[in-house]
Amino acid sequence: MLDVHGLRKVYEGSGRRTEAVRDLTFTVEAGELVCLVGPSGCGKTTLLKCVGGLLSPTSGEVRLAGRRVDGPPPGTAFVFQEYGRSLFPWMRVGQNVELPLKQKKLSRERRRALVADALESVGLADAAGAYPWQLSGGMQQRVAIARALAYEPEVLLMDEPFAAVDAQTRADLEDLVRRLWRERGITILFVTHDIDEAVYLGERVIVLSASPTVVREQLKVDLPDGRDQVHTRVSPRFAELRTRVYEQIQAAKRGR
Amino acid sequence: MKGADAALGAAGLAAFLVLCEAVPRLGLVDDDYFPPAGRVADALGRELADPAFWSALGDTLTGWALGLAIAVGAGVVLGVVISVVPYLRQVTASTIEFLRPIPSVALIPLAVLLYGTELRSVLLLVVYAAFWQVLVQVLYGVRDVDPVAEETARSYGLGPWARVRHVLWPTALPYVMTGVRLAAAVALILAVTAELVIGAPGLGARIAVAQTSQAVPEMYALIVVTGVLGLLINVGARSVERRALAWHQSVRGEVAV
Ligand SMILES: Nc1ncnc2c1ncn2[C@@H]1O[C@H](COP(=O)(O)OP(=O)(O)O)[C@@H](O)[C@H]1O
Ligand SMILES: [Mg+2]
Repeated sequence: MLDVHGLRKVYEGSGRRTEAVRDLTFTVEAGELVCLVGPSGCGKTTLLKCVGGLLSPTSGEVRLAGRRVDGPPPGTAFVFQEYGRSLFPWMRVGQNVELPLKQKKLSRERRRALVADALESVGLADAAGAYPWQLSGGMQQRVAIARALAYEPEVLLMDEPFAAVDAQTRADLEDLVRRLWRERGITILFVTHDIDEAVYLGERVIVLSASPTVVREQLKVDLPDGRDQVHTRVSPRFAELRTRVYEQIQAAKRGR
Repeated sequence: MKGADAALGAAGLAAFLVLCEAVPRLGLVDDDYFPPAGRVADALGRELADPAFWSALGDTLTGWALGLAIAVGAGVVLGVVISVVPYLRQVTASTIEFLRPIPSVALIPLAVLLYGTELRSVLLLVVYAAFWQVLVQVLYGVRDVDPVAEETARSYGLGPWARVRHVLWPTALPYVMTGVRLAAAVALILAVTAELVIGAPGLGARIAVAQTSQAVPEMYALIVVTGVLGLLINVGARSVERRALAWHQSVRGEVAV
């Protein structure tokens, strides 16, 4: 489904040169939920923007369903870390969710139905008339997720979407993502710096090294499908997996 | 709180009027050139009853509104084009910095040469003065576009036009509104100046006539009218601004997360 091959990205400008990503190769199968975890500043956002066609790689390539990505591909939705800035404050929640659909030449009824369904899915059915800035942080991020869902993407790219919400909200949102993934069969690439989150959410965890970034290890998460915050997180297998990821990241930081 | 402020404001204004009445009557100034407020009010009453006054007011408002509309239209369109087309901003920056500070009144001889005392003379000056107010604000406003909002729009496949309409324009709107409010004030100043100096029909020309015919109270009455006009324009612009920007933090008085 998604092929990242030899991806390298160097930022150049104002006399500074940053090699954000050195050489990344991995694939994501259709319908998979993959978590990318790596230390802060290792180039996760850069990678995700290359995958989403928002940045063009310095070398290497990204292929989506066999086609080379050289601009935002139609079936891809992006959920940004900065949800507050990603929602448009001049539009109500419903309008925010509907805007991308207007580009898709859908009928008005179809758009209405998709918006209502998406807001319902994230538990914000009655917030359609509010402005984003009238909502809490967690609710805003749910609006951003609803906007992505309504777009009916095949691939959903999420960039540390829960880094800025409180722990309880975060747990709820994690369960929301897993539920939506199971219900809708979307391919999800989820970026995080939080090891527990990566193991709890993913079917597979890709561990990135510190900058200059390469794939350090790929780990299958063989936890049961139906996960829940209380039991999954205390299971011995969960502890093993998170220890394994933790060690990899520590080793990555030491640069071995 | 608000009621108390308004009461104090009204009291201040009343005191000012009493002063304007008293100072000439006490002989502190020559009441030929500075008639008491009562006599100015009488003159104002006479003006309001005179159809010629109303047609002068209409002329001034026509020059003002037309000029403002042209300036706003041109300022918005050019501002957006300059910001959106690559390198155009850099190419135009120094020219704009050079043209902008030229006082519009310096163009009066040119206006007379081109159009005499026609409405077009007034328009030239009004448009030149108001245009820069709008253009500069639009250029600032567009620079304020949030990169995350812009990337969001791109990631959802919004094309250039849709991004101008749904991201760039709403971001720039608060600035545009400020520009329009400033332009509206400047446009009135230039409309009256043009009439006064060039003699194009309007309140300005009527002030000049009152002056040359020694109708001093009438002259003051007309000056008061221009002041009230300026006040109404400012109040009107602010209320339009508040309506259009109900979502905006400067109006709603709280900061987004
Ligand atoms: N637009 C940019 N210009 C220059 N350097 C950048 C830019 N964006 C990110 N970087 C640099 O690239 C590196 C990776 O950044 P980023 O992808 O944001 O990492 P992460 O999301 O993992 O925290 C950092 O060193 C950062 O300073
Ligand atoms: Mg990041």
